[in-house]
Amino acid sequence: MKIHVNEQVLELAENINIEQLLVHLDKPLIGSAVAVNQDIISRSHWADTILNEGDNISLFQAIAGG
Amino acid sequence: MLNDDELLRYSRHLLLEDVGETGQQALKNAKVLIIGMGGLGSPASLYLAAAGVGHIVLNDFDHIEVSNLQRQISYQSDDIGEAKVEVAKRKLQQINPEIKVRSINKAMPEIQLTMELTMADLVLDCTDNMASRQLINKSCVDAKVPLIVGAAIRFEGQLMFFDHSETDSPCYHCLFPGSEEQTLNCSNSGIIGPVVGTIGTLQALEAIKYFVGLPSGIKNKLKLFDGKSLDWQTFTINKDPKCTVCGQH
Ligand SMILES: [Zn+2]
Repeated sequence: MKIHVNEQVLELAENINIEQLLVHLDKPLIGSAVAVNQDIISRSHWADTILNEGDNISLFQAIAGG
Repeated sequence: MLNDDELLRYSRHLLLEDVGETGQQALKNAKVLIIGMGGLGSPASLYLAAAGVGHIVLNDFDHIEVSNLQRQISYQSDDIGEAKVEVAKRKLQQINPEIKVRSINKAMPEIQLTMELTMADLVLDCTDNMASRQLINKSCVDAKVPLIVGAAIRFEGQLMFFDHSETDSPCYHCLFPGSEEQTLNCSNSGIIGPVVGTIGTLQALEAIKYFVGLPSGIKNKLKLFDGKSLDWQTFTINKDPKCTVCGQH
């Protein structure tokens, strides 16, 4: 399966959920926000949101500066 | 009613169909609470004062340091050591003597923030840390006061608008739960002045639009700004039914 993560192509052997993706990418689960096709997925739905072929994933961090 | 001085001062607003005399009067009646008077709060407050927002409350507990001056454009070198809110208040009154400005020179505890929210039509979160952001969000959800959140670090900016007068509105906590998080701030990561200035300026723009009754293009959206490419990304923020702040509880 091919998906895009922050505009980079990523090949995955099988459909995984968001939580598994973050672990796969070695990203922190804390302080991260995830959007699938421009829709932000609440953290409580990371485990039950399965990624599909062609999905555009955006990963970014909370920033607090001002 | 606008007086003769105001008709002249705001003449470029009055030319705009979307503002006009009705919109200018709405700005004059408006009450905004700006929390955090650093790189976001500086441009946001300068523009709102210039625009004629009639009641501006400034809150911060910091004193001006030389390292602030690279981006916090309300302040100058001979202000170092003074309280930010006092200098900023003076500056805003110099720009526009027609408006009322009040300063709160302390870190507000929740009870005081709640009291201030009963007198505010809109809040701008211009703070520099996660704990304040979570407290402001929770208080605005509870008080049903709309909140415009800005944040910036390095070359990146974030902007969002939540209308908490609507019960189905998502909140900041739906997006970023947890105040204990190690988050990036200006003192540990650095910041480019015009990036934080862009976000603060857009908080002012959204506030003016809100007061004159124009719809916001960013309601329940997160705008991400990349100061290197100048690209903007837009994401929809969904309400988390399990959110401990705005969910059913
Ligand atoms: Zn929420």
